[in-house]
Amino acid sequence: MTLRVGLIGLGTMGKVHAEAYRQLPDTQLVAVADLRPEMRQKYEGTDTVVYCDGVDLIAQADVDIIDVCVPTHLHRKFVELAAAKGRHVFCEKPLARTYADGQAMVAACKQAGVKFGVGHVVRFFPEYAAAKRVVDSGEIGKPVTVSTMRGGGGFPTAWQDWYANFQWSGGLVLDMIIHDFDYLRWVFGEVERIFARGSAGQEANRFEYALVTLRFKSGVIANVEGSWFNHGGFQTKLEIAGQKGLINHESAESSPLRAILKSSDTAAQVAVPESPVDKSPYLLEIEHFVSCIQSGEEPMISGDEALKSLQLALAAMESVATGKPVHL
Amino acid sequence: MKIGMISFAHMHAYSYAKSLLQIPGVELAGIADDNPERGERMAAELGTSFVDLDELLARADVAAVIICSENSKHRYYTELAAKAGKHVMVEKPIATTVADAQAMIQACADAGVKLQVAFPCRFIPAVRRAKEAVEQGRLGRLIGIRASNHGRNPGGWFIEKELSGGGAVMDHTVHVVDLIRWIFASEFTEVYAEADSMIHGISIDDCGLLSMKLENGAFATLDPSWSRPSAFPTWGDVKMEIVGTNGVISIDAFKQRLDVYSEASGHRYLPWGGDMDFHLVKDFVDTVALDREPFITGYDGLKALEVALAAYKSADSHQVVNI
Repeated sequence: MTLRVGLIGLGTMGKVHAEAYRQLPDTQLVAVADLRPEMRQKYEGTDTVVYCDGVDLIAQADVDIIDVCVPTHLHRKFVELAAAKGRHVFCEKPLARTYADGQAMVAACKQAGVKFGVGHVVRFFPEYAAAKRVVDSGEIGKPVTVSTMRGGGGFPTAWQDWYANFQWSGGLVLDMIIHDFDYLRWVFGEVERIFARGSAGQEANRFEYALVTLRFKSGVIANVEGSWFNHGGFQTKLEIAGQKGLINHESAESSPLRAILKSSDTAAQVAVPESPVDKSPYLLEIEHFVSCIQSGEEPMISGDEALKSLQLALAAMESVATGKPVHL
Repeated sequence: MKIGMISFAHMHAYSYAKSLLQIPGVELAGIADDNPERGERMAAELGTSFVDLDELLARADVAAVIICSENSKHRYYTELAAKAGKHVMVEKPIATTVADAQAMIQACADAGVKLQVAFPCRFIPAVRRAKEAVEQGRLGRLIGIRASNHGRNPGGWFIEKELSGGGAVMDHTVHVVDLIRWIFASEFTEVYAEADSMIHGISIDDCGLLSMKLENGAFATLDPSWSRPSAFPTWGDVKMEIVGTNGVISIDAFKQRLDVYSEASGHRYLPWGGDMDFHLVKDFVDTVALDREPFITGYDGLKALEVALAAYKSADSHQVVNI
């Protein structure tokens, strides 16, 4: 059975999700919504119905899935409307800007009896999934210390510069390194206490930097680095040290392809590293969500799961603000 | 110039002694050691004599000593050497308590001898280049630093608290803390830390994480864990990711290395970068010869020790500790 999809928000992630629905055999992108005409243009005159306002899409489009790819502070509104309409919901991470919003969204989907999945896509990155398999196999013994890094590609640009609005995006900790919090929870379980330092609120706040210390109930000590500064390009790092071994990943060291090509006759040659894979992690996460709707199973990253990761990010932000550790 | 060595308990003594032998005009005057077997073995290997400590310190022709004993014995040997009028270079950490460190600084001041603490990382060329860039203002205002000084479990007295004063946090905090103080000319004001014994089945901390704040408003984390497994191609690392308002400086201090793969050793790194221990020892010799202020003072040693001790306090209380 083909599942009909309505996608709200055609920004960076919306485009990626649209491509995933195009590739999946069991889904059809039947409606899209975006406030910006230039984003809608691609779909004008196609079989996909185009809306300006996502509220209208939810009200009018005959779909099975609503995919929410709008700025974080708007997640709740669209998820609640979609759930009330009885649609399954896939929502970009982070779940919400506040814990109360997140709780309301989870409750709305439960009450409506619809599937709710959240896009903590790092769990679907092959290098991160492989690292978890190694940990679970026991090959490196009991994990002890972990460090991660994410960012370094500069500040993200988007609709109305919403990433720079702390009340909308929550800044670097909520938007970016929640990826690592969610991954670490998946691999190492729940967190006992968290301490974070960050540059949020400082004069250079468009270029935020944060260093977070997490202590897990299992004993694991983790250090999470996030940066919207320019470290020479977006990159990720993951090191897991165990009692009997160590795993290390550095994205900057694992690009099998590096092209140094002119983009036009006059342009300088710029090195562009790439790490192409058979199936993109974004395709995998949506494929998983679609399969859960078909099978009736609960998505791996359910609303409840995403709520726990949201709680960690909010605790880290609280620690940055207060200068004190937060005990969970 | 004749320089004696007191104790080879810390393995860095060997490298310092080799460095002394390379400096023209410097003579290794002898090795005193409360472990006679070790002292005699090292003396034979280094072509010098195993000597009695009192006799070494009584010799008028010995200008200085290098102390590489167990950490908790640093004060005892430093005070003896100072009383005998010998200049002192002492292995890091300067001591295991603030009181001991202060007493050492006082003893050397009273005796009019120089006290230098062995922070060889200040002599890594990449570190010096980074410091130059910072001093030229090219980094802008410092925002934060993510650092690691990983290592392996050194075993022996390092894991006996009464001799070492602490495990991985004591062993590997002071290097990076000293570098940050030196590069940015700012003191640490507070520390939050996690520390535990979870890797090697020993009764002293073998892993941890420090989150620190500087007087200049910047922050830093440091991983001092003895977390490199035996299969890792090298002993550990000193790395710093330094983020400022004008850019980012990354230091991987020991990255100048060959990858060597062999049937005998598997995969190992063969370092080919500068010899920081030689430059540290050479600087100490010059300090004595030219009668100048030590480049790395007892106070520097004390300030680094304070951060390590605050980290233990925080790890026990789970609270931020002010320095």
